[in-house]
Amino acid sequence: MNLKELKEIIDIVTSNESIEELEIEKSGVRLRIRRSSNHVGSVSTASVASIAASPTITSAPAPSKVLAETEELFYIKSPIVGTFYTAPNPDSEPFVSVGDMVEKGSVLCIIEAMKLMNEIESEVAGEIVSVLVENGQPVEYGERLFAIRPR
Amino acid sequence: MFRKILVANRGEIALRIIYACKELGIKTVAVFSEADRHALHVRFADEAICIGPSKSSDSYLNIPNIISTAELSNVDAIHPGYGFLSESAYFAEVCEASRIKFIGPSSEAIRLMGDKARARSEMNRIGLPVLPGSADSIHTDKEAIATAEAIGYPVIIKAVAGGGGRGMRVAHSRNELLSSLKTAQAEAASAFGAPQCYIEKFIERARHIEIQVMADEHGNAIHLGERECSIQRRHQKLIEEAPSVIMTPELRAEVGCRVVQAIKKTGYTNVGTLEFLVDEKRQFYFMEMNTRIQVEHPVTELVTGIDLIRDQILIAAGDRLPHRQEDIQFRGHALECRINAEDPVTHRPSPGKITSWYSPGGPGVRVDTAAHAEYVVPPHYDSLIAKLIVHGSTRDEAIRRMDRALEMFVLEGVKCTIPLHRQILHNPAFRKGNIYTKFLEHLQEPRVRAVEMA
Repeated sequence: MNLKELKEIIDIVTSNESIEELEIEKSGVRLRIRRSSNHVGSVSTASVASIAASPTITSAPAPSKVLAETEELFYIKSPIVGTFYTAPNPDSEPFVSVGDMVEKGSVLCIIEAMKLMNEIESEVAGEIVSVLVENGQPVEYGERLFAIRPR
Repeated sequence: MFRKILVANRGEIALRIIYACKELGIKTVAVFSEADRHALHVRFADEAICIGPSKSSDSYLNIPNIISTAELSNVDAIHPGYGFLSESAYFAEVCEASRIKFIGPSSEAIRLMGDKARARSEMNRIGLPVLPGSADSIHTDKEAIATAEAIGYPVIIKAVAGGGGRGMRVAHSRNELLSSLKTAQAEAASAFGAPQCYIEKFIERARHIEIQVMADEHGNAIHLGERECSIQRRHQKLIEEAPSVIMTPELRAEVGCRVVQAIKKTGYTNVGTLEFLVDEKRQFYFMEMNTRIQVEHPVTELVTGIDLIRDQILIAAGDRLPHRQEDIQFRGHALECRINAEDPVTHRPSPGKITSWYSPGGPGVRVDTAAHAEYVVPPHYDSLIAKLIVHGSTRDEAIRRMDRALEMFVLEGVKCTIPLHRQILHNPAFRKGNIYTKFLEHLQEPRVRAVEMA
């Protein structure tokens, strides 16, 4: 399959909204194109050899279950670059722990940037499923801080 | 000496700075926007931190996030490259206050040169000739007419806070002057947030020639000769070369000496470039000073054999100038073509995926780029995707070398300026060195003008 053919196939999928997913196997190359929510087709190709090595990839139920679980969770991401703190000061209890219920606007953590303490608030109401960064660690822009199961 | 440097830029210049740091044994920290997660500067730096979303105002111009990154990664210095924060006096000031060395001149020097009208009067005061014009910004129509008629038409109206060709208008008569002034002021207000404009004499067939300087923090300064950048489109450089065909060793020494004296008087440090307009009588008129490393710095590197980024870092670390003026030798001829992802005729940007890529090599060829096959040129930043630079023993050899390198440059998937470069290189007037800042504008006009020029 050359690049031109690949482009044509992608065009067919993206221009025809009734196609959710397309899978083709041809001369040793396997191609799967699936429509994602932001409508640009996500493409994954793999050689038959690597598929044979891990046959579970082809079984449909497993990936869709993973997908269902991630869709439930809401991730709080860092809006700035800085240092992550779970508590207002070293002697205090953390703002939140796994299992806590939080409201929209609850303070979840502090990110220190340029000597300023920035309180990060929850964008959703729900349960804290995990804290993804350790106390005192640097975080970058867009880094996932908390996973929340929305109520 | 610095242990670790934050590179506050992206694309080819971020890579170029990383090359120099690796050779000096300095660790690097890259910063990147969400659009650049897979970029080469992220891959080759020792550390990399995402500082914001794709939009440059939220990432590469986000001073709090960049300073936080510098503090978290414990760097000694920040290299701003060109564009973005490289000429922000405020950013340099924040670095100074945070005790992080800004690799460039002082915030004071950036502020002085950033105000084009003030820079011009200051440099004129200390001995550099400038074009006749209004000393300050023009406020009323009456002032504009009086100034224009005192210096004689044509005149050019420029934004005080300008750069990159925006907020510039040429006027040949009183009627044109008043409407151009309004347009220029509106353009300046929207592009730079300041509507102030000034007026100066316009030279019809001017060459753009600039002098590279380098100064340490111990009062020493030298010049590294000139670059001619007359091939421009809408005041954006497209081809640069060194030496200029109109330059002689005597003229270079004379102009260079005056420039070095002037920057010594201002107490300027680090690298910088003084841009001049040169008329047909080879008179140099100071236009502005760029207080940063420039896109076209490799042209000077090839004719002098000096690594400008390395020296820039050493000077910022407090070293004395590694060269004396009498050691600087100019060898052969260098040319640079800017390969932009844009339509070669309309100059409209052409972002997208590079489907196929081969960059030429061979004797005397250098390619500075951060692009590669499968690289996606993001729509958020400037369109420069590669700088093709060649060196030859003569101008003619350099042109032939450039032509074959352009011919062998494979770049598919996005439109680019390669066909335009070849057209310019084959033009008889260009071959003779008969160039001026409006060359390209005339070349792309109907055929009658092109024939006339040749």
